[in-house]
Amino acid sequence: MFAVIGLVAISFSAIYSAGINYENSFKYVSMQALALGIGFVGLLLLARFNYQYYKYLDKFIYILSLLLLISVLIFGTVKRGTKGWFDFGFISFQPVEIAKIMFILVFASFLDTKSKEVEKVSFLFFSFVILAIHLILIMMQPDFSSTLSYFPVTLILLFMICVSPFYLFCIVIFGALAIGIPLLSTFINMHLKISPSGAFLTSLVFFLKMNLNWLYIIIAIIFLIMCFWWFLWKLKIRISIIYPLVLCNVIFWGCITSIPLEKSLKDYQKKRLVVFVNPKIDPKGSGYNIIQSKIAIGSGKFMGKGFKKGTQTQLGFLPERHTDFIFSVIGEEGGWVIAQLTLFLYFLFIWRCLIIAKAARDRYGSLVAIGITTMFVFYAVINIGMVMGMMPVTGMPLLLLSYGGSSIFSSLCAIGILLSIHIRRHIY
Amino acid sequence: MVWQRENKFVYEVFTKKHKIILVFFLLLFICLSIRLFYLQILNGNDYRIVSEQQRMHNTYERAPRGIIYSANNEILAENKSTYVVLFHPYNKCQSPSIQVIKELSKILDREIKPYTDKSLKYGKYIKLADNLTIEELFKIQEKKLMLEGISVTKVPRRIYHFAKETSHITGYISEIRAEELEDLLGQGYKLGDYIGRGGIEQFYDSYLKGINGGWQIEVNARGYQMKTFKYIAPKTGDSVYSTIDLNLQKIAYNALKDSSTGKGAVVVIDVKTGAVKALVSCPGFNANRAGYKDFSRYLKNKKLPLFNRALQALYPPGSIFKIVIFAAAIDVLGTDSLETTQCTGSFKVGNRHYACWLKSGHGRLNIISAMALSCNVYFYQLGLKLGMKNLEKYTKKFYFGQKTNLDLPNEKSGFIPSPEWKKLKLKMSWLKGDTAIFAIGQGALSVTPLQMAYTMSVIANNGFCHKPYIVSKIVNFDGIEVYKHELKVVNKLELEDKTWLLLHKALLETIENGTGRKCKIDGIKIAGKTGTAQNPPLKDHAWFVSYAPADNPEIALAVIVENGGSGGLNAVPIGRKIYETYFNIRK
Repeated sequence: MFAVIGLVAISFSAIYSAGINYENSFKYVSMQALALGIGFVGLLLLARFNYQYYKYLDKFIYILSLLLLISVLIFGTVKRGTKGWFDFGFISFQPVEIAKIMFILVFASFLDTKSKEVEKVSFLFFSFVILAIHLILIMMQPDFSSTLSYFPVTLILLFMICVSPFYLFCIVIFGALAIGIPLLSTFINMHLKISPSGAFLTSLVFFLKMNLNWLYIIIAIIFLIMCFWWFLWKLKIRISIIYPLVLCNVIFWGCITSIPLEKSLKDYQKKRLVVFVNPKIDPKGSGYNIIQSKIAIGSGKFMGKGFKKGTQTQLGFLPERHTDFIFSVIGEEGGWVIAQLTLFLYFLFIWRCLIIAKAARDRYGSLVAIGITTMFVFYAVINIGMVMGMMPVTGMPLLLLSYGGSSIFSSLCAIGILLSIHIRRHIY
Repeated sequence: MVWQRENKFVYEVFTKKHKIILVFFLLLFICLSIRLFYLQILNGNDYRIVSEQQRMHNTYERAPRGIIYSANNEILAENKSTYVVLFHPYNKCQSPSIQVIKELSKILDREIKPYTDKSLKYGKYIKLADNLTIEELFKIQEKKLMLEGISVTKVPRRIYHFAKETSHITGYISEIRAEELEDLLGQGYKLGDYIGRGGIEQFYDSYLKGINGGWQIEVNARGYQMKTFKYIAPKTGDSVYSTIDLNLQKIAYNALKDSSTGKGAVVVIDVKTGAVKALVSCPGFNANRAGYKDFSRYLKNKKLPLFNRALQALYPPGSIFKIVIFAAAIDVLGTDSLETTQCTGSFKVGNRHYACWLKSGHGRLNIISAMALSCNVYFYQLGLKLGMKNLEKYTKKFYFGQKTNLDLPNEKSGFIPSPEWKKLKLKMSWLKGDTAIFAIGQGALSVTPLQMAYTMSVIANNGFCHKPYIVSKIVNFDGIEVYKHELKVVNKLELEDKTWLLLHKALLETIENGTGRKCKIDGIKIAGKTGTAQNPPLKDHAWFVSYAPADNPEIALAVIVENGGSGGLNAVPIGRKIYETYFNIRK
């Protein structure tokens, strides 16, 4: 796995450079090396271990993951507002990272065994129960970005197992409503504060605020959907009544869940999530990170400013240099050449993962491989998109590159599982 | 590769989906690559510029202004450094926090206005307080950690040693205004710079201001200085040597201040060179404070302290204008000292009576005694005899209505009325009465004190005009002379020899036996003329113009006491004090 080694090498130089001016780069690098060492031990062990046992141990793994998440809620320490860390003095550990991989193992096993019942609603229901328990436990920490990372993995795995596209569509709508409504309202609020222009938008928002009864709107939308269905029925296009009913239910519950979600999200989090659309509406507050990050990447130009010479990084304009915004450091100091190389290596890695998935001995292995791959892709796209101002600022690390012991450890464990699948592709 | 063979159909579906997600992931990464390319290659230059701007700050170190010297090399204006408190915006903090303001107010024991301009850019400073003492400086340095974003910088401050006496000569300095900046574009002024206002400070600003230096520094996100790239030392402004005789200036200023109204002007000119030895406008202002605190107070003051009366105030000349009529009469009419006229105390033009200032009348007078006693009736007659054409011609000949081009700003030229002007402006025709009034220097005719002093110096010189000046040389910091005033005769006032003779005699007579008797000093012959210019509805202005010694003139002067009343009683004593000082005479 040449790509992994390449990525890790870039990661080290970037972390070292990011920390150099703050007299703790040695600490960062050594901690990262320690995590990497432990991670490689984990990788080798997991690669040796036959992944097929996971399938039979699924209940045990699931309970273990729940225990981890519950115990962190009880014994964990608080860091940056999140109660998600076990502190062992010199090293601290975030169990969510491991729990994610455990979830993939369990969920793949569940899908594989129940693959005959794909069309049944109870199947979907159970898969969501598995998901929901995890999510609720993580939201109690609360760790919003980790929660988000569960969705694409679940969706892609359901997609792979041939769940009807309609249900997937429903899930997407549900998620979009639950998250979209609070975010949209924050965004509009922020925009109104900044620019009183846009008469149409303003009046619309005022109208909605005056008649602040979401229930009416929801009922109206549901009514419209029913009418549409009835209209199609009349046109002799026969669609089961179940579809519009489910759709209506999804919309209704989506809106309902948006209310507790809105309450649970802190104001600054909401702002951070939406501000990437136009960071200039709050340049000194929530938009600061994105603006500085874009300047850092952009100012790298073709060849970059040179190792340890990035002004954005070294002078502290760029926040969270060694963790979430590590890619900005790479972009600034290495320029387009290195940044594009990083992207290429990352994709190479993803591609290799997908080949493992395709060549796996059984479907369980394939599903696990795809789940893990999706996790990597999702993190990479959100993180790199975030530092380039395309995605919301969620505080997601760039796996394998960002500084962070737990994340590098869990990434290497995940790779270990992938290798285990890879090694056993020809074995009966 | 087991389940692929066992369950072909499921595997086919799986591979199809596998392809879809592969393409999907590939697309995602291509999107990221495109964005990366867009940011780094297409817009890289723009972002590079922004990142450079972010880390580079230019700090400006103001150059000390040049020193202004008097004729005897006493310092009129120089610089002392003071310390100012600056706030520079950093990171996310654009204006100083309330705690910082409170803490500062406590240390400095003065109220500091919180600054709330949101539009402030990187690299700009906000001045919070100036004129710190050393103790205050140390106090601030002690509490530096609490005062985020606050720094103390040394700034040269202008000190005027004779702030009131020489205020109108030196002028003062104050911060440049934004709208002025547009006019002065390209001359190297920046917002926050100081610019000279009034006097030498304004006229020679380009010499005095020097060249600002500064540091180009690299700062981090919190605004702390990280590295220094280069330092350009500020270049001190050039020193200006004026021709002011500080003794005369002080005496004249104090004499005017102690006069009946405390308002007025004195101009003393060196006859031989045209150098201005004293230029007083009373009341003066405190040049040390005018640019900082007291400006608005001065503006509201009814005595107009910021108004430079010596150059800008327009007064009717009154009786001192008789000098012009006198010269014209002898030149044109050939009047000599033998011709006499009766003064009955009043004179009839048309159907109006014009009174002499002495109601009982002066009796029989020749032209010299008429001048010495300043008889109005005599000059009414002369004026009417000469006619408006001649009067206008001679008024212009004596440089009325023209600027003297002294090297100080905002000089006024005065005004000569004419029949054409009256017709145009007032839509009335010029009457004989107007000519009569014109002949005694009343009506719309107006002059500045500087003009009158200049005219006297020309008369004292028998018509040779030296260009008046107040700055003799300018020397730069390295001691090299960059400017030197060259003496030159710019004009010649042509009058017949007899006229000069009689004029000098009449002016001498005025002091010896006439209205200017109060200025008679033993041992020095002084020639002069008094004036009491009517200024309805307010009190008359007291004028005194003169030169001395009469046989070999050295200095010429003009004194006016605004609303001072009679010239002989109020203006002449001031002239006497100046002469006493100049000729070193003890009372």
